[in-house]
Amino acid sequence: MSEPLDSGTPRDTLSRRSFLKGAGTVAAAGGVLGHPAHGEAPAAPDQDGPETIEGTVEVELNINGETVQVEVEPRTTLLSALRHRLQPPLTGSKEVCDRGDCGACTVSIDGKPAYSCLQLAVDLKGKEIRTIEGLGTPERMSPVQDAFCEHDASMCGFCTPGFVMATTVCLEKHPDADLDKIKHEISGNLCRCGTYPHIFTAALDARDRMREDR
Amino acid sequence: MTCIAYHRPTSLGAALELAAENPDARFIAGGTDLLVKLRKRVHASPAALISLRRIDELARVEVGECLRIGAAVPLADLAVNEHVRERLPALTDALATFGSRQIRNVATLGGNLGNASPGSDAAPPLLVHDARLELRSTSGVREIPLAEFFRGPGETALGAGEIVTAILVDGPSEGAVSVFFRKSRVSMDIAIASVAVLLEVDGTRCTKARVAAGAVAPTPLRLEAAEAALEGTALDEAACAAAVASVDAAIAPISDVRAEEWYRRHVTAVLLRRALMRLAGSTAAVPTGGGGVS
Ligand SMILES: Cc1cc2nc3c(=O)[nH]c(=O)nc-3n(C[C@H](O)[C@H](O)[C@H](O)COP(=O)(O)OP(=O)(O)OC[C@H]3O[C@@H](n4cnc5c(N)ncnc54)[C@H](O)[C@@H]3O)c2cc1C
Ligand code: FES
Ligand code: FES
Repeated sequence: MSEPLDSGTPRDTLSRRSFLKGAGTVAAAGGVLGHPAHGEAPAAPDQDGPETIEGTVEVELNINGETVQVEVEPRTTLLSALRHRLQPPLTGSKEVCDRGDCGACTVSIDGKPAYSCLQLAVDLKGKEIRTIEGLGTPERMSPVQDAFCEHDASMCGFCTPGFVMATTVCLEKHPDADLDKIKHEISGNLCRCGTYPHIFTAALDARDRMREDR
Repeated sequence: MTCIAYHRPTSLGAALELAAENPDARFIAGGTDLLVKLRKRVHASPAALISLRRIDELARVEVGECLRIGAAVPLADLAVNEHVRERLPALTDALATFGSRQIRNVATLGGNLGNASPGSDAAPPLLVHDARLELRSTSGVREIPLAEFFRGPGETALGAGEIVTAILVDGPSEGAVSVFFRKSRVSMDIAIASVAVLLEVDGTRCTKARVAAGAVAPTPLRLEAAEAALEGTALDEAACAAAVASVDAAIAPISDVRAEEWYRRHVTAVLLRRALMRLAGSTAAVPTGGGGVS
């Protein structure tokens, strides 16, 4: 995506998958607070994290049940850490508006939905972070993922990971949510393709499947 | 620019000292305004950020004669707080439609007021409840009425290194009711106009009226002419019509991408009319009939 179109990139060999992986606003060093810091050695984090953080630090994050170390700066958002700093990166959370307007970057933090583009990674030590990668696999999808597939709840797919996360957290917290409740809880997610009717059908179906599993 | 420092004090005292030592630093609570403004380059990158997220004193709601809401309590917690619901119904109304679940999980009242947006949804409800702010710096503590806090878009009465520590609201009076209405284009959008109303009724007479509006002037503001038109009356149709008619001269809306000036004027009057009609159900006194504006 960052390649200019005249650079000879073999566009027709780009698979849908690699397109989706690279898509989003291009900000490899993505962060909100200006320029990257220069070459400080990562400081060792203490128990609760140091009181003042300058330059690059290593922060311990708990992502999908695994503890990982990531090098970040104070300005690095969780979204940027996931997509650009982690090795291997987790690109399921999408970078679309990068300012809290769309919900495509929604993850769960301690069981609550959060815009990962408005969270600073350094604040998240000790928090339980769940991303779309933590829900299911193509072979064994979560009930919400399964219902989204079955009811064709995505067109371009950019909003889908965010909607699946917001819906999952909503149904975990409110297993008996009705349509109005679901709409209220996921109103922080936008779909530009307008698949809302399918999303709501999928969410209601997922609710029923999750109830049966209880 | 080299790098920015991110301070995460665990006590209020430490935060105030850091602010005094770093005059160019900015406070960050939920970050839902600040990070967006930095992203849009409305603000230059500050040399330092002072996080308010690890300070327990700012994260509490204390209930006594006066309700004391810590400046950094997440709005999602306030939205379900029974004391807030009981004493500040208009604020509970506002929090129900505030941003989105993801925003409410992190955003705070201190940040909403500190951001001083003309369209703040928390301000009109707090204005009608005569809220006061507790402000603190290394030189001490002071209290000011919220009505004196806003100075213009993004401008507040905060001095250098001063922080909002709490929002204070005196105990509810018998028979007080309040409500908040807003109009926006879509969900998650900033208000085109918003109105909060508080009424105290003794028998059939309105003993106290407070009316405030958002997004229709450089700051959220009290509509004192509307209050005067209601106080001392039986809240009859004539009084309500006079209150609604007084709105136009009291506001100074702009035209922007969300709405034209004339439409904001119209909507503000409609919202006030609706608010008065809604309160009719809870105060016996307000007439339910006759829309007039719709
Ligand atoms: C998608 C989206 C939807 C939104 N919807 C709404 C809405 O419906 N209604 C609405 O009113 N707003 C809305 N907002 C704006 C914003 O979420 C609110 O104003 C929020 O309350 C800000 O709180 P915060 O803790 O995130 O503030 P921050 O961004 O942390 O801070 C905002 C400003 O206040 C200062 N500050 C923070 N805390 C203090 C303090 N204790 N003392 C002094 N200064 C302080 C900061 O330095 C900064 O300048 C929305 C924002 C987004 C991104
Ligand atoms: S990318 Fe985070 S809300 Fe749009
Ligand atoms: S499917 Fe395209 S944005 Fe939702």
